[in-house]
Amino acid sequence: MTESSSADVAAPASAAAPASAPASEQSGRRARRRFTKTDFGWIALAVGVALLLRVLLTRDMRLHFITGASLTQGALIAAIALGVVLTYRGSGVVNFATGATAMYAAYVYTDLRINGQLFIPPLPNPLVLIEAVAHHLDKKSTLTVPHWPTEISFGGRLTLPSAILVALIFAVVFGLALHFLIFRPLRNAPPLAKVVASVGVLLLLQAVVVRRFGSGAQATLLNKGVAKQVKFPFGVTMNTEQVTVIVIVIVFTVLLWGLFRFTRFGLATRAAAENEKGAMLLGFSPDFLAGSNWVLSTGISALLGILVAGNQKSVDPLTITLLVIPALSVALVGNLTSFGITTAAAFGLAMTQALIGYFGVTRTWFPQAGGSTLPGVADLLPFLVIVAVLIWRGDALPTRGAVSSGRLPFAPNPSRLSTHIFAPVVVAISAVLLMFVATPNARLAIMTTLIGVVISLSFVVLTGYVGQISLAQMMLAGISGFALSHASEQGIHLYKHTLIPSLPFPLDILFGALVAMVVGLIVAQPALRVRGVNLAIITFAFAVAMDSFLFQNPGVNGGFAGAPIRVPTGLNPVKTAVIGNGNGANVWFGVFCLAVVVVIAAAVVNLRRSATGRRLLATRSNERAAAAAGVDVAATKRTAFAIAAFIAGLAGALVGIRIGKADPSYFGDLPPALVPQSLAVFAFAYLGGIACVSGAVTAGLLVPGGIIFYILETDLHISPDFTLILGSLGVIVTAVLKPEGIAGAVGASLRDRARRREHHATLSARADRELAASATPAESGAAS
Amino acid sequence: MTALLETTELRVTFGGLRAVDDLNLRVEAGQLVGLIGPNGAGKTTTIDAITGFVPSTGSISFDGDEVDRLPAHRRARRGLVRTWQSLELFDDLTIIENLLVASEQASLRDVFVDLVAPRRRRDDSAALHALHVLGIAELSDRMPTEISQGQRKLVGVARALAAVPKLVCMDEPAAGLDSRESIELGDRLRTVVDSGVTILLVDHDMGLVLNVCDYIYVIEFGKKIAEGTPSDIVHDDRVIEAYLGAAHRKSDAE
Repeated sequence: MTESSSADVAAPASAAAPASAPASEQSGRRARRRFTKTDFGWIALAVGVALLLRVLLTRDMRLHFITGASLTQGALIAAIALGVVLTYRGSGVVNFATGATAMYAAYVYTDLRINGQLFIPPLPNPLVLIEAVAHHLDKKSTLTVPHWPTEISFGGRLTLPSAILVALIFAVVFGLALHFLIFRPLRNAPPLAKVVASVGVLLLLQAVVVRRFGSGAQATLLNKGVAKQVKFPFGVTMNTEQVTVIVIVIVFTVLLWGLFRFTRFGLATRAAAENEKGAMLLGFSPDFLAGSNWVLSTGISALLGILVAGNQKSVDPLTITLLVIPALSVALVGNLTSFGITTAAAFGLAMTQALIGYFGVTRTWFPQAGGSTLPGVADLLPFLVIVAVLIWRGDALPTRGAVSSGRLPFAPNPSRLSTHIFAPVVVAISAVLLMFVATPNARLAIMTTLIGVVISLSFVVLTGYVGQISLAQMMLAGISGFALSHASEQGIHLYKHTLIPSLPFPLDILFGALVAMVVGLIVAQPALRVRGVNLAIITFAFAVAMDSFLFQNPGVNGGFAGAPIRVPTGLNPVKTAVIGNGNGANVWFGVFCLAVVVVIAAAVVNLRRSATGRRLLATRSNERAAAAAGVDVAATKRTAFAIAAFIAGLAGALVGIRIGKADPSYFGDLPPALVPQSLAVFAFAYLGGIACVSGAVTAGLLVPGGIIFYILETDLHISPDFTLILGSLGVIVTAVLKPEGIAGAVGASLRDRARRREHHATLSARADRELAASATPAESGAAS
Repeated sequence: MTALLETTELRVTFGGLRAVDDLNLRVEAGQLVGLIGPNGAGKTTTIDAITGFVPSTGSISFDGDEVDRLPAHRRARRGLVRTWQSLELFDDLTIIENLLVASEQASLRDVFVDLVAPRRRRDDSAALHALHVLGIAELSDRMPTEISQGQRKLVGVARALAAVPKLVCMDEPAAGLDSRESIELGDRLRTVVDSGVTILLVDHDMGLVLNVCDYIYVIEFGKKIAEGTPSDIVHDDRVIEAYLGAAHRKSDAE
């Protein structure tokens, strides 16, 4: 189904083929290759149609392909995808938070329907400071200040229409806020900043909901129509709610198509996408257009989130949020432009996934894992669709005139070694000393920070140096964690053959990191043809697919007990420390983490100063010019992906050792993970500063459970629930105000000052020279 | 003399449009060859095709080998390099680093050594030489964003020379320069050719091209309409019609 849709998209490209056909007849391998691509499209179309017929003509397949549930799922994916397309057409932003918007609206609606109240995002109450000061001065102080309200009560359950109305008003306001506060200031920012901002919004919405309702599923109030079944021809039945949802999405698709096809508003939006002045000529402010499209986007995805919430038994903070991946995949099938193709592909995708799920429980040929159905096969589908579409459309080098808009954060070359070695050495030594005197909990926070530094360093290499936005680094860490678990315990076996025996301590860690490196090279493959935000999409989809396919696979993750990791007693983090205050977290594990950080940080700094580093930055700066300078762009990207994956792998091994097992909730994006881990580490790495080692250190300090939040929690009594809320707010603010991240911004101001000083020095030196030259006029001519 | 670069029936099509149409070019080693033509004649596309930035058909032989199946960076490593009309400097690297990217050879083993000892045996002689030839040695530690447009142009040329090329395809190096700067550039290009580097020069500036080139090709709508020495070209009727025609008609009308 989805294949056939992608073939439809390719049809316009094939229209050009007949015109050049005479050319390709005479000679030319290039022309023939393009022909093959079109041919491939037709073959895919034919196979798709054949499979579709086979499914439709077989009764049991048909009844599990066309079901109320699968079509409702398709409608929800379609609505989120329409939201994605709208914001992309209106303001050029690929909004990763579209699914989160639908999820949030579903919660707003459910709260209104069940509790009759509108929950308010928790914000730190400024008055708490007064309370804290009072408490500090007088330990027995009972002073309490007014609490920040957590909800607005409507005095009883709202009716269906009024609840929808209130939730939709919220969605409209939210859309306007996104536009005016975040994405309008970012309209000329590089794609990286936009990706970061939308990821920040996703994390924020998710964290707010977790704070208010917990991370578990929340029961909803089912609409009455759920009980009423409607019969359709060929034995298909669904309930009236499902029919409503499906019809609404189709109506919206048609309306949007009409809006963009026939109205001046649509024409102006299309014009503004090409050139802002074009829209002004039609009498529309580009700002108005972008804002309106944001409101339409949040409105539609919110409405469907609401309707589906009244249609399913429960909502949870992650499921709808992560539907953004299938939504992005179908939006890409529609080239982020076509509403019709997007919606059709969404239904096709959801129905195919339902069918795969059905095959999983009924067909004997379906792959098994640990005695039960192999999980995650249906979740692989959106990823495969994305890969197919993007590789199909991608180019090995950007074509002429392809705008590379905006610049990435500056990656400073640490040239003067003396100043750069002093500070790290002091920090490292004091960190060691600190670990010996710190309380067990503080020691854990230091370890978490050190591990956060390592994972952030992997982003420095990949995103900072070579400009590739990968959201799969935590997945790579997880691959390493699980590989480590197997290598340290029973070794790796395949059909009773021992491939890898059980490995002793540092070798098993290296093995894990090397496995991550191999997977990283696989991730690099699409990056050779796919750039910018599309690469972010493809890597995120890969991370989620691997999570459900591998990390949640009972054959890999050791089931309920988890996949244990054997650690030498001397380093075992949970064993009592031999030195220090004798409690809890083993200080030697902290020292080990610190050693890893120092070695990796030195390597990453070295990389920047080397010939390889220059090639990485040249590739990031301009792929075409780099190729013209003899840089093998593909090999350069592969190198960066491999190094970054190795570093991420080390981080994953450290996480695994720290908790004693490899566990999907630490590496994955789907539940049981409380937050999408891939997104969270990316956001914090950016917050610290993604282009330099000091940024990675800053990021490590900031990560959840790290030193800064530990201090906030123990000294200011800020609940750890706020960690992600503050962190994601910080990410959004940083993306808008300081795209170089915290360390980057500090570094930039330091460099500015140094340069000004240097400038003065050269000016006075030049004045001296000129003075000297005026004595010998002949030389001054040669010098100028 | 053997031809350093020879294209046979070089063709580039965009959809139904033939941007370069069966072009046969021959560039002898040690020469400065000009490629001129009106706007949209396919000059930049020709360079893109020769250096591997657009798919083309026909054959491109360089230094005795067929290179038309090689990716762009492999052609560059063989000594077939180019400059860009829009310069395309690496804004995140200093001028000398820009040149080093082009002059350093890459190998996988080096990556491992780079992680440990990034500064060993940095051979920057080719890069420094290129800066000296173009007279911009004092810029080496500046950033591309800090220098003037004219200097940026010279850096673009220097980066091509830093690769120690056999042939440099130059895309409008004189665009945006005034006539004095253009003459200066011409002198420097002659110095470059005298040092043993062959140049294929694409430019609008007829003065520059006629002054410095040994041999000139004229194309229009992707087809070659004339070739010869500068003096042949200025007297060629088809060139006058195609290239100067508009100007002539304009002067007739006045």
